[in-house]
Amino acid sequence: MATEESPQVTRRATRSYSASNTAIESTNLPESYKPTINDLGFRQQPLRLEDLLSSFPGRRSQILELLRLLGPLNSPMFPILVYGGPSTGKTSVTLQVFRHLNRPFIYSSCITCYSPRILFESILNQLLFHRKDSGHSYSSVKRCERPSDFVNYLREALENVLTNLKGNSGKVSSKMSGRPDGTMVYLVFDNLERIRDWDKSSTILPFLFNLNDILKMPEVGLIFISNTSPDTYYLNIGYVEPIPLYFPDYTEDDLRHIFMANQTNSRLYASFLDVVLRPFCRVTRQVDELAAAFSSLFKKYSEPLSDKEVAPNEEMKRRLFSHIRPHIASALNETFQVRSQPLLKAETNEETKKTNSSRMLGIREDFDKIDFHMSTSAKYLLISAFLASRNPATLDASLFDSTGVSDSRKRKRKASEKSMDQKEMAEQELLMKGPGTFPLERLLAIFQCITSLAEDSLDEEESHELTVEGGSRGLMSDVLLQLSSLCNANFIIKGGSCPLEGSTRYRTAVSEDLALKVARSLKFPLSKYLYRR
Amino acid sequence: MAPSLNDDSPPSTIDEAFTENNLQPFFVLQKGPSRKSDRKSSGTGRTRRFDLSSASPKNSANIEDEKEDENMNLRMEAFEFVWSKIESTIKDVLRVINTNVFSEIQTWVHQSFDTIRSLGTPEFPEATQSFPIITDANSKRLFTGLVLTKNMEFVDDLLTFEELGKHLKYQGCHVANLSSLDFTAKNGVGGCLRSLLRQFLMSSLDPADISILASWYREENCNNPVVVIIDDIERCCGSVLSDFILMLSEWVIKIPVILIMGVATTLDAPRNILPSNALRCLCPFEFTLGTPAERMDAVVEAVLVKPCSGFIIGHKIACTQHFYTEPLSVILLEFASEEDNLVFEIERHGLSPEVIWKHVFEFPSCQRVKLNKLTSESLAHAFSELKRLQNQWRAVVLCLYVTGKGEKVRLLDLFCEAIDPESYNQGEFDTNMKAEKDPVLSSSQIKGHVICKAVRLVRDLSTAQLGKLLKMWENLTVGIPEINGKVKELLSLLNVEDGKSSKKDLTVTPRRHTSRIQLNIEKDSKSLSDKAANLIECMVRDYMHPTECIPFHEIFCFKDVDKLQLALIGDPRRGIQVDLLEFQKLLCCRCCTSSSNALLPSMHDTSIMYKLAQEHGDLINLHDWYQSFKSIVLCPNSKRKPRQSPLPKKRKGIKEAESQSEASIQARFCRAVTELQITGLLRMPSKRRPDFAQRVAFGL
Repeated sequence: MATEESPQVTRRATRSYSASNTAIESTNLPESYKPTINDLGFRQQPLRLEDLLSSFPGRRSQILELLRLLGPLNSPMFPILVYGGPSTGKTSVTLQVFRHLNRPFIYSSCITCYSPRILFESILNQLLFHRKDSGHSYSSVKRCERPSDFVNYLREALENVLTNLKGNSGKVSSKMSGRPDGTMVYLVFDNLERIRDWDKSSTILPFLFNLNDILKMPEVGLIFISNTSPDTYYLNIGYVEPIPLYFPDYTEDDLRHIFMANQTNSRLYASFLDVVLRPFCRVTRQVDELAAAFSSLFKKYSEPLSDKEVAPNEEMKRRLFSHIRPHIASALNETFQVRSQPLLKAETNEETKKTNSSRMLGIREDFDKIDFHMSTSAKYLLISAFLASRNPATLDASLFDSTGVSDSRKRKRKASEKSMDQKEMAEQELLMKGPGTFPLERLLAIFQCITSLAEDSLDEEESHELTVEGGSRGLMSDVLLQLSSLCNANFIIKGGSCPLEGSTRYRTAVSEDLALKVARSLKFPLSKYLYRR
Repeated sequence: MAPSLNDDSPPSTIDEAFTENNLQPFFVLQKGPSRKSDRKSSGTGRTRRFDLSSASPKNSANIEDEKEDENMNLRMEAFEFVWSKIESTIKDVLRVINTNVFSEIQTWVHQSFDTIRSLGTPEFPEATQSFPIITDANSKRLFTGLVLTKNMEFVDDLLTFEELGKHLKYQGCHVANLSSLDFTAKNGVGGCLRSLLRQFLMSSLDPADISILASWYREENCNNPVVVIIDDIERCCGSVLSDFILMLSEWVIKIPVILIMGVATTLDAPRNILPSNALRCLCPFEFTLGTPAERMDAVVEAVLVKPCSGFIIGHKIACTQHFYTEPLSVILLEFASEEDNLVFEIERHGLSPEVIWKHVFEFPSCQRVKLNKLTSESLAHAFSELKRLQNQWRAVVLCLYVTGKGEKVRLLDLFCEAIDPESYNQGEFDTNMKAEKDPVLSSSQIKGHVICKAVRLVRDLSTAQLGKLLKMWENLTVGIPEINGKVKELLSLLNVEDGKSSKKDLTVTPRRHTSRIQLNIEKDSKSLSDKAANLIECMVRDYMHPTECIPFHEIFCFKDVDKLQLALIGDPRRGIQVDLLEFQKLLCCRCCTSSSNALLPSMHDTSIMYKLAQEHGDLINLHDWYQSFKSIVLCPNSKRKPRQSPLPKKRKGIKEAESQSEASIQARFCRAVTELQITGLLRMPSKRRPDFAQRVAFGL
């Protein structure tokens, strides 16, 4: 029925909609939810302080500090900037503190609200108790793009809410009805660092920091949450700097407490943490990263155990440790673990078994095979791009001109101390620069060279194809197509045009491993052509 | 027409005249009649597109042509029938190949949906609130299926992902297909959200906000997973994609989104594109589609080896050309519809037996095999013989394929070898077989021979495997009693052997005998597999007649590979250049004589411009170019205008007309330049050098 309604609600209707708002909803959307003032609170049973402190190990001082800065009920406050590394509990702590205090707040994350308009409208929607639904074709309560409009609307909405809050605080004991306490409204801006990437960041950021002064409403509290430190924001434009509150990284002990929470077999998990926590802490202290790594590792750890509830003794711990040790090292280096479905894996295993069971010549080839399909000319093109990126352009002549190869190699003199140093410097510089860029012409020239070389050395079908009818003219038209599909696959990156020549330059992003694999699949002696410094 | 055509297939003189007359209207880029004289045969290739709807323009009124036209219509009918059959077969094959992976993905989607639901199902107010529901650190992770397409060309798999979307939608998921075009840096994260909302809500909303999606999801009965399919992550803008992922991960409990991403290259691709904070939000699983090689094999099997259309090269261009040049190709219609009373059908199509015989005798294959009687019965017999031989060939090829399947013997290689008439004619195959038995020979000689490899594999099989294989052979050769009988014989022998050996296993034997018995069993199985190998060898030798060795094969075998190759490679730029320079041959207009090299105002503008551009280096001064263009256009009397003195001539010309046509000349000039740019022969002036256009193509 909601979908039936939506076409009838036109744009104009939504704009002048605030008056008829309640009527539409009550008549046509019986199941729809009408937000009230209660929605400004956390809407769950308020936490006691002890529970709050115990649910965040290692965050005691920060919680107390935050409570102190927020102050007692109905006291005005300065803006606060909560900052610290990712996954250090900033958002959770702030939200749970509000749950504990049971005060009204408005939350908006700058990830979800990716533009000023959406940010403003999301705040206004919450303040005006507006939900987007099909009844009014998911529109916002007000269209608001500019900060000045926002301030006006915000002030209006806030006054409305405040009178509402004041009226209710007089009447009933708020704890009973689930209504939030106090007559302060807090605005929480999460992921503030994202705003810096917006187009209008230079105006929006100062505007937000300055909101307190602009509004001049003591009943409004501002809380900013950010991944980055305050230094990255302040531009000295003369507003009151928010009070910084730093959330440091968790220590190893904190992490242990965090991970020990809600474990069914705490003794087993403790012994698991004994093994893994220390090495992992050296790599990262972010809870989410660790949690992802640990969840799969723990599965492996408890694999040999038949009874998961058993409390491990010393000998068992040792056994389990030796079982898990090889996995730890690999997991340490791997942040992105791709799992495959068990069913599928079983199938592939069967297939590999099948190939292993019989004697075949081809098995050896499996190791250095590239595991996706590429046409032959694309492979040659990739190799030539790799060469063009790695080798200095000055060397091309000696590498590909058959007359120049031998003597340039032989001429090796003993280098003096100074030249050695220079060489090292140049080496480091090259490392910093990464793979070099090259114009299209050079790429095609190298491509031509190596394909003609391949003809000589290989009697394979592909080289015949290359020579079909009048050289590789037929091939060339295809080469540009292949180049574009290599660009699409991110193997070759099309760079900006060179300011001097005015033509587009390319560079390769492939690793040497992949290039070598490709070369091996063509039986192309790549290493012979690579210039080693 | 390429001269090679005259050697291979027999276009009659009528036919040639016909093609010469009527080819022209069908070309996208027209081709001159005398072009073959001044160009090498290698360069004549051009994709021919026939406009089938207007397939029979009647230029000449003589009767033979009319007859030809009628025949042509029939042929085109046959072509459409055959091609549609091939096309639908290919589609079916591709769909079937993916079903396994699709159902795999579908079960995974539902599993992950259940996992998300187990984390908590929020009520409506909770689900639409702005702040996240935090349960534990894992609750922000997004289930992600990485579908490895195993093919660098993502274009080949666009259809696959569409199909996947349909499949999942059919299973009750909410599906949105996004492509890399939605993830451009220009549109930012708003672009992909907008297209997401458009697909889910069927309406476009101006501020694309994910909270809309949350309320929408709550309004739907929230019992189905939301699946977002991204075709090709390699081409996506990394920052936008990571923003999108971060945003979805904030909402994952409120909207159970499951991502499916197509990866064209390796699993490193997401690692290279996405920053670590976005990667952390993914909970990836891996799925693998069939490799292009597997797909190719499946298509080859369905289209070329199995009786699908009777046609041998499954390419549309080849198909068109074949039907175009081959008068008897109508018969294919009957082949495809698998009817036996061929001859009567043909007569119904208006081909009398005499005409058929006339054509047939021009087939080289029939001149080799001498047929005496020219009756329709013998013709029918010949055709049925043709069919029989082809069936045999099919069966043997499939047997070989089944044998080699597990060992990466590709059907395509097998197929190529099986249709190669040379190896068959020269008996090369037999010698190779002998060489095979001789282990001393180097492997390089044998390497290319897939058939030998398959035969060798049979020898190495154990008894159980052999049994399986023989059963498969039996099924494959059902239609051919000769082979089927032999296979059955061998199978029964195997069964007896099996019974014996199992009995031996059961009976308690003295210990010293066991080794000998084992040895015996091994020997027996060895001899059996040898027998099987001999069988398949003899099958290959006796029954696998390559198509090109059978009489009448020209009816359904397209052999003019050169032509096809040329059509496929294409050489568009060269073609355009030639056409621009020698346009007279195409247009055949009276106003411009092809003999003189002079530039005339009656010529086509672009052609004039391109000829003028030939005189410049890689940079063309636009002013000079324009002036010379103008002078040519304005002076109808001058024969060849010297480029150095355009100004005095211009003054001599009529002043009013000049001022009046100045604008139109400029417009013509601009259009010609744009056309040259579009054809890729010219680069427009850059900001740095606004007066110069750059030539891109030099020479032919």
